[in-house]
Amino acid sequence: MKIRTEQFVEIAREEMKNTRSKAFLGLLPPVINAMRQISLATFPDPDAAQAYGAAIRGEVVTRLPELLEEFERNATARGTKVVWARTAAEANAFVLDLAKKKGVAYVTKGKSMLSEEIGLNDALIDNGVDAIETDLGEFIIQLLKRPPFHLIGPAVNIAVEEVRDLFMEKGILAEPTEDPVALGYAARLHLRDKFHRLEMGVTGVNMAVAETGTIVNVENEGNIRFAKSSPRTQVSIMSLEKVVPTMADALHMIRLLCRNGTGQKMASYISFDTGPRAAGAIDGPEEVYCVIVDNGRADLYDDPVARDVFRCIRCGACANICPVYTKIGGYPYGWAYTGPMGQLLNPLLLGFSGTSDLFRACTLCGVCKSVCPAGVDHPRMFLYYRARDAAGDPKLRSRGRPLKERTLYDLFAWGATHPRLWRQGAKRMRPRVNRDARDGYLSRSVDSLDGWFRSRDLPEMAEKTFQERWKEREGRKANA
Amino acid sequence: MRRVSLFVPCLVDLFLPEIGEAAVALLSRLGVEVVYHEAQTCCGQPAINAGYLPQARKVARHFLKVFGEDEAIVSPAGSCVVTVKRHYPELFADEPDWLARAESLAPRVYELSQYLVDVLGVEDVGATFGGKIAYHEACHVLRGLGVSEQPKKLIRAVAGAELVPLNAADACCGFGGEFSLHYPDISEVLVAEKAANFINSQADALVLCEPGCFLNISGYLHRHHPEKKVFHLATLLAGNGKGVRA
Repeated sequence: MKIRTEQFVEIAREEMKNTRSKAFLGLLPPVINAMRQISLATFPDPDAAQAYGAAIRGEVVTRLPELLEEFERNATARGTKVVWARTAAEANAFVLDLAKKKGVAYVTKGKSMLSEEIGLNDALIDNGVDAIETDLGEFIIQLLKRPPFHLIGPAVNIAVEEVRDLFMEKGILAEPTEDPVALGYAARLHLRDKFHRLEMGVTGVNMAVAETGTIVNVENEGNIRFAKSSPRTQVSIMSLEKVVPTMADALHMIRLLCRNGTGQKMASYISFDTGPRAAGAIDGPEEVYCVIVDNGRADLYDDPVARDVFRCIRCGACANICPVYTKIGGYPYGWAYTGPMGQLLNPLLLGFSGTSDLFRACTLCGVCKSVCPAGVDHPRMFLYYRARDAAGDPKLRSRGRPLKERTLYDLFAWGATHPRLWRQGAKRMRPRVNRDARDGYLSRSVDSLDGWFRSRDLPEMAEKTFQERWKEREGRKANA
Repeated sequence: MRRVSLFVPCLVDLFLPEIGEAAVALLSRLGVEVVYHEAQTCCGQPAINAGYLPQARKVARHFLKVFGEDEAIVSPAGSCVVTVKRHYPELFADEPDWLARAESLAPRVYELSQYLVDVLGVEDVGATFGGKIAYHEACHVLRGLGVSEQPKKLIRAVAGAELVPLNAADACCGFGGEFSLHYPDISEVLVAEKAANFINSQADALVLCEPGCFLNISGYLHRHHPEKKVFHLATLLAGNGKGVRA
């Protein structure tokens, strides 16, 4: 998938003018947030439920290597073939090779963010194996060749008219209609046919249960269940943080995932699959593969702050409430993951150089952290990223910051530790800053502050600082 | 007599000294002796937010030296209080001596409304205001310090004031320090929405506890809706209402 993280500012600007995106963003996030609140309130103690989720995810991060080994052992014992892929290329090559070996013309896909991350569809299609997305939203954006707009609603911003025209053009729809039910039905008929003759299905993983070797998928359309149950060969791809210790943990995280993601107490389909078809069973795949993808994660595991990103369960609650995401939508994030969690994950996986807007375009308001069911402290992590970036950390592939900026902060620190010079500096700046003041306000740019003055005025620097006023007051008191 | 050390953040010192004076007047009226250390400068928050931690550490050490002996430090700026309370201990994770000083200072630092309500136990400070007030829940005050009821209690107790609901009161106003400079397009949309919610609330004044949000929201209103007033809580409670350039 094309990386456009460097165009964050430009794409954000376009999107804030895009009436369609604006209308959607004004409408849906508030509704989802309200539904989230209502569904969370069905817990006897919602805060405790969220904190329990954070504790589970904290345990996962701490015990990640041993949990993965435990999962491999138990999954293997139940007949799943566990494959480790160090890189995106290795993962893609494995799936492609398997498809070639099985001689399949196409595979169906269940919605998987990891698949976007590693670019699996392109890897298959470019090598003669068609990859057909079966989640309605993913199906639409695949046909449109667009990136996902939202973590769990990749095509939520696409107008129904656009879907109509697209389906007509692709021969999915016989008669033009804007009826969403009819459009959904047309897509279903089209995809159902693919499932009927399915040889190989590829899906993502919501959770992999270490103690049982079970793979859990949460969805609302039933397409993943199809993709998992109807082919002869079933492949689940997961990034390595998807593991959870026990089935009890998985059940709690599912309850949180549904509530935080879509405001549902439970998604329409939750599948628990442990291994291939058992002897004597009437359905299920003959072979099940689980590809566990690292793609740069293991290298981050030694970093005690950065690795907290592995807590994330991809519910998208942070995006739905983020002041920035709800104004700019998903496209500016420029890659697989959108919203605050994308601001954390994309830079780690792609490297800091070229992604620094993602962790800087944040007001540190902390609302993401306040809704996160996995205990991610986004603002703390953004500050950490900025610090590592300012330090030019090569491990995080940072190129460092401009010398001019560093000099500015050196000067700031020097001034702030020399109170007398700090005062003198302020005094000397005052006439220059206040040069263009009118009625106590500045409206025109001063030095490098044009961003501010585009939409705002600023009070002029006070004739006397608080300190000067205090000194005068103390002087008067002494004389009285 | 209670005594507090006033921590006047740089934005207040340089641009909004009336807020600092209001805090002094208010505390004095409540029988609190106010001390002000003239060696104070900035808490270092801008450097922390930009990622310049070695520079921030220097500034933090200066702050700890200046305020280290105070029993109670009070500031009319939620985010600066968060910086000292939460970020200082993180800054000095690898310097045990300074970490001890930062950890010892953290519980002695209070945001103004927090000090008035939680420590002094005061709600009615004897202020008056004729009109409706909407309260903006500044991010660092609300989510950084967990302070929300305190300012509202103080506002409700102001004679003649009516606290009215503000839609999306807890949504960020789009300031975010350097965010407002580097991402002005996004920042503008956020502050415009905050202003619209304030206007729709029909309130006569918007009240808040954070100088950054104050500059952002009042700066936007000054350009687009100059008749609309923003007050820092300290100014409202000091009860003079004068000298506020909103």
